[in-house]
Amino acid sequence: MPDPLTIETTDLRKQYGPVEALRGLTLRVPRGSIFGFLGRNGSGKTTTIKILLGMARATAGDARVFGLPTDGDASGVEIRRRTGFVSEDKDLYDYMTAAEIIRFTAAFYPRWRADLERRYAHTFELPLDARIKTLSRGMRTKLALLLALSRGADLLVLDEPTSGLDPAAAEEVLQALVTHVAEGDTTVFFSSHQIAEVEQIADRVAIIDRGRTVVDAALDDMREHYRRIQLVFERDAPEPSFRAPGVERVRRAGRVLTILSSAGAEPILDEARALGPVSVDVVPVTLKDIFLASVAMED
Amino acid sequence: MLWYKSWLETRWRFLIGMALLVCSAGGTVLTYPQVMKLMPLVPSVDVSGELGRRIKEAIDLSREYRGYIWQQCFRQNLVQMWTVFAVLLGTGGLLSRSSGGSPLYTLSLPVSRTRVLGIRAATGLVELFALALVPSLVIPLLSPAVSASYSFADALVHALCLFIAGTAFFSVAFVLSTFFHDLWRPLLLALAVAALFALYEQVFHDTAQGLFTLMTGEKYFRTGNVPWAGLIISAAASTAMIYGASLNISHQDF
Repeated sequence: MPDPLTIETTDLRKQYGPVEALRGLTLRVPRGSIFGFLGRNGSGKTTTIKILLGMARATAGDARVFGLPTDGDASGVEIRRRTGFVSEDKDLYDYMTAAEIIRFTAAFYPRWRADLERRYAHTFELPLDARIKTLSRGMRTKLALLLALSRGADLLVLDEPTSGLDPAAAEEVLQALVTHVAEGDTTVFFSSHQIAEVEQIADRVAIIDRGRTVVDAALDDMREHYRRIQLVFERDAPEPSFRAPGVERVRRAGRVLTILSSAGAEPILDEARALGPVSVDVVPVTLKDIFLASVAMED
Repeated sequence: MLWYKSWLETRWRFLIGMALLVCSAGGTVLTYPQVMKLMPLVPSVDVSGELGRRIKEAIDLSREYRGYIWQQCFRQNLVQMWTVFAVLLGTGGLLSRSSGGSPLYTLSLPVSRTRVLGIRAATGLVELFALALVPSLVIPLLSPAVSASYSFADALVHALCLFIAGTAFFSVAFVLSTFFHDLWRPLLLALAVAALFALYEQVFHDTAQGLFTLMTGEKYFRTGNVPWAGLIISAAASTAMIYGASLNISHQDF
């Protein structure tokens, strides 16, 4: 029976000298999902990706891709054979032309999709004879994406795939990604700072902060269950201690008490009303609200 | 395709090296008649000290074609220039971005680091062998043009000595390149190591143990015996350094 999880990490830790890049990261990425991996700068996103692809080794914990350990030489090669990767800096060989790097990369992948290669070269209007060092940031990104998508990969790992792109180019890249995934059974694991992009294409999201997972949920579940409850009091808001489940964050600001709940509003409302507020408002929250609340919670 | 990538990364260093070394070897052969014409004008040298001894030895060697070629090519020009290109070809391995390469793209490919490094080392060594062999063979090929002859066997033995012994400098640069992420530090450190070896042989006149003496094939030139022991030791040291580079790279985080 095939493993239903494409990526699985358990209590993953990574130490660079005195710096703890990962502090017990646990992730579950289901097969066929588009998984958005959100976090602030330096939160451990790129380190996680490097460990998944065998570019760095974890100090402790377990990381598996396709059920294979990421720290083994042979298993690492097998993982990379089934994975397309776009790095944050869109690292490519500057001295090659676009056509040369396509030919070079295709030789490593028995399932290389020449049809997709032609399609994306045409769609992205890539100048195949141009040296990579002469390509614009946008063209470089599109070439990196072509190289990842044409591998016939079961997993795409994309580190900030739209960073540095203008909105039109970013949209073009995202649309290509969504179309590609819709046509197959590919799992996409992508990190981003662009919350709107994640919200646009992801079906599952993990938010990490300081090397730990602080949120890991399906985006639809988040939309359904996360609520902001705002209580306004006549005088300064009290400092309550809620017993109801799902209270993610409570913030006092003068007469206003704001509660972020991950289990809907109902379990909290009775306790909230007992505090005697003059008004109670329940509003749905955006992914950005959840992100900001989650990373602020760790401060 | 990793061979192709390694070739693209090193081709200019190799081609420039080949052009310079071939021109140097060819130039040495073709200027032999002029040197011979000037030889009677050279007064008898009677300078005391090490410098005088060396000048006298160089003049004496140059009176005969085989000695002239060894003195000019295999003892000086080819060895010195070849050493510089050995260091140049040894730098810029898996880690370096300076040559336009990208470690992350290479590491995302379904190949082991050992294989990437091994192919890079093998490419450099093949190029180095060509840099030793082709200019050496130019000598017997061009010699008839100056009404002289030079043995192909001599050229091959000197090329072999140059390559096997000199690979140590390639290996030093190669192993240093796995410690430093830039091109310059491995390059300068490896050149400094080569300079120290040369200085050691100059100061201590250590012609029996010197790496450069081994590269020149002096023992073969003077006695007709190939210095197998020295070559084997040098080759073993080079192999150990390349293996060390492979171990170092396999444990690194990128």
